[in-house]
Amino acid sequence: MNNLIANSLSFSYGKEYVLKDISLEIQPGTLSALVGPNGAGKSTLLRLLQGQSLPNKGEIFLGQTPLKKVRNKVALMPQRSSINWHFPITVEALVALGQVNIPNQSCCEIEASLQRVGLSTLANKRLDELSGGQQQRALLAKTLAQNASIFLLDEPCAALDPPSRLQFLRIVRQLAEAGLTIVVSSHDWGQALNAYDQVITLDQTVLAFGTPQEVRSKLESISSMGNHCCG
Amino acid sequence: MIEAVFANWWALPFLMALLIGMLCPATGALLITHRRLLQANLISHAVVPGLVLALAIGVDPSLGGVLSGVIGAVIAERLTSKKTTDNEAIINTVLAGTLGLGVLLIPLLEIRVDLESILFGDLLAVGPADLIRTLLATITLLLLLKTSYQKLVYLGLDPDGAAASGLRVSSLRLALGFVTSLVVVSSMSAVGVVLVIGLLSAPALFGLNQAPSLHTAMLRSACYGLLLSLLGFLLAIAFNLSPGPLIGVLCLLSLLFFKRELP
Repeated sequence: MNNLIANSLSFSYGKEYVLKDISLEIQPGTLSALVGPNGAGKSTLLRLLQGQSLPNKGEIFLGQTPLKKVRNKVALMPQRSSINWHFPITVEALVALGQVNIPNQSCCEIEASLQRVGLSTLANKRLDELSGGQQQRALLAKTLAQNASIFLLDEPCAALDPPSRLQFLRIVRQLAEAGLTIVVSSHDWGQALNAYDQVITLDQTVLAFGTPQEVRSKLESISSMGNHCCG
Repeated sequence: MIEAVFANWWALPFLMALLIGMLCPATGALLITHRRLLQANLISHAVVPGLVLALAIGVDPSLGGVLSGVIGAVIAERLTSKKTTDNEAIINTVLAGTLGLGVLLIPLLEIRVDLESILFGDLLAVGPADLIRTLLATITLLLLLKTSYQKLVYLGLDPDGAAASGLRVSSLRLALGFVTSLVVVSSMSAVGVVLVIGLLSAPALFGLNQAPSLHTAMLRSACYGLLLSLLGFLLAIAFNLSPGPLIGVLCLLSLLFFKRELP
C-alpha cells in the first residue's frame, strides 16, 4: 500500500482559482477527514485526487507512481445529490456497478462489499425502498467493490440523521482498521473529528493538517471557522 | 402463407402498430431513467429538416431524419454542457428552431411534403419499407442493450460516477441519441413525430412502477405499449378514426384512469 501524495496543486474554473497550492499526504490505512465551509473546494480536491479532473499546476502520486497511471487504485463515492435514487435497480445490482470496469466480475466481491456495510439482507431491495442511511451504505458498498486501495467519500453524511451518521462513521472506522485508506469530506466539524486519524482543513488552500487535536488548536486562532456540531 | 397474410389491407398496419407499440415504450423507459425524455422530444422535432432535405436531394428520407435528429441532439448537448444554464429552455429553443427550419425548407426547396403525415402519422398507409425500418430500429436498440446494458445503467444512475470510472459518457449519450432518432423516424409513418412522444412516455411510466431493474421496466413498458397500440388500432378500425391520434389520446386516458399505478 502506498501514500497518496499531492504536491502544490492548483485548480481553476476559468480565471477563478478554487484551489491554491495544496500539498498533503494521506497515509495508508488511515481514516482522514477533509473539512471546510461550503465552496472551500472539497469536492474539487477529491475529483483531482481521483484523477477525474486534472490540476492546472502540481502533481499527484500514489507512492512513486503518477496518479494517471494508477487511477483505478483510487475510488470516489459521489455526493448524494448526483445520484438518481429513483433508478430501477436493486442494491446488489448497484454494488455490481462498482466492478463495471473489471473484466471478470466477482459475486464474492459484491457479497463481501455488502457484508462490510451490513446490507447483505437487503441485497434484493430496490434502491428507493431504502432509508437515507441505508442508501449511503449501499453507495459505499458500490465504491468498495471497485477494488481500489484509497476511497474518497464526498460528503457521505450530508442529509443523514445523527444515528445514521454515527453508524456510517462506525463502518468507515472499521474499514480503516481493516487496512483501507479512507478520506471523508464534510462541511461540518466538531467533536466527531476525534473519530479520525488525521484532519485536513480546507478553504481554497490547506489551513491546517494533522491529528484532530493539532488541527483544533490551530483553528482556534481562526475565528471564522467556529465550532459546529458535526456529522 | 406470408403473402396471403399481407394481402389483407390491415395486416401491415396491424403488425406495425404492435411493433411500434413495444419499441417506443421500451425506448421511453430507457430515456426516462436517463432523464432524457425532453431530448427525445427535441429529436422527434429535429428529424423534420433532415427529412425535407433528403426528399429534396432524392435520398431515403429516414436517413436524413436520423442524421438531423442526431445533429439536433448534439447541438443541444453542447449548449447544455454548462450546469449553470437552464437546460430546459435551451432544449426547447433548439426544438422550435429545428422544426421551424424544417417547415421553412419546404417552400424554399420547392418540394411537396405531406407535413401532416410527418407530424401525426398515417398508420393505415404504412408499407413494407416502414416495417423494415422499424425492425432495424428494434435490432439497433437490442444491440445497444446487449453491448452496453451495465454501462447504460451506470450512466442513468450516476452520470458523474460513470465518468469518474472511465466510461465514455459522451459516446454512450451519442449512441442513445442515435437509437432515439432511429426509433422516432421509424415510428413517424405510424404515429408521427409529434405523437410518438406519447408512446415513449405513458406506457413507460407504468412499466417503471416498482420495477427492480431497467430491463424489467423496459419489458413491462413494451407490454403496456402493446396493449395500448392494439386497443388504439382496433378502436380506430371500429370507429373509422385515425389510429395515430387515437393512440395518443389513449395514452392520456391511461394516465387519468390508472394514476394510482404511476410511480
